[in-house]
Amino acid sequence: MVHLTGEEKSAVTALWGKVNVEEVGGEALGRLLVVYPWTQRFFESFGDLSTADAVMKNANVKKHGKKVLASFSEGLKHLDDLKGTFAALSELHCDKLHVDPENFRLLGNVLVVVLARHFGKEFTPELQSAYQKVVAGVATALAHKYH
Amino acid sequence: MLSAQERAHVAQVWDLIAGHEALFGAELLLRLFTVYPSTKTYFKHLGDPPDEVQLLSHGQRVLEAVGVAVRHMDNLRAALSPLADLHARVLRVDPTNFPLLIQCFQVVLASHLQGEFTVEMQVVWDKFLTGLAVVLTEKYR
Repeated sequence: MVHLTGEEKSAVTALWGKVNVEEVGGEALGRLLVVYPWTQRFFESFGDLSTADAVMKNANVKKHGKKVLASFSEGLKHLDDLKGTFAALSELHCDKLHVDPENFRLLGNVLVVVLARHFGKEFTPELQSAYQKVVAGVATALAHKYH
Repeated sequence: MLSAQERAHVAQVWDLIAGHEALFGAELLLRLFTVYPSTKTYFKHLGDPPDEVQLLSHGQRVLEAVGVAVRHMDNLRAALSPLADLHARVLRVDPTNFPLLIQCFQVVLASHLQGEFTVEMQVVWDKFLTGLAVVLTEKYR
């Protein structure tokens, strides 16, 4: 569960309304794969990831980034029950995908940096704080069903 | 170890910060304290809430140290030895806090540079700052 004040929730929702989910998703996933190249271990079938440029332009990365962020977007509508919302996905990431939950934290941090890049000064310390709480909550929810 | 091209990226970004160490540093610290309140435990002397003048002064000090690191990328250990001693003997900041500072640093860079903050810059600065943190905590034991 994420503990956001009413004000923080409004600010998070207001900013998210201006986000191009498709674009930001691809960018966040791409940056994750470049900044933390060991995360590429989960995407061997994605094709050319050999250079930063190749990663950022990779169609599979963009497609998957969009999918991941659409899911995150859904989560934003259920901040009071992230664990319930992501229960099935949590099981999938543990049982089928075998993803170390640390990767969810890394992606969350990269997403925050991408938002800062898009929104500039508008991405105040308070807004960053609210979003860091959200991404931490989502990461925890995704790790919740691990066994 | 940074390649020549990586060092160029570090220098390129630093050129945009140089001269504005106080402002960037103050924002860095403000973000750190706002997003990760437990980090304030190391900065009681700045006041709670932190005094703006103190934030600028301390922020400048932190960013000037980063500037030293930028100018001595091929010899970080020697250049930062006094700071490493300080962190090991006096400050003793738990090493888990450095990634928090680095995250806030990335957000500061991204929000100021925006379109110019390429993925190459992000990976290089993450690598550079992480290396810096290793040097600062290396003498802990």
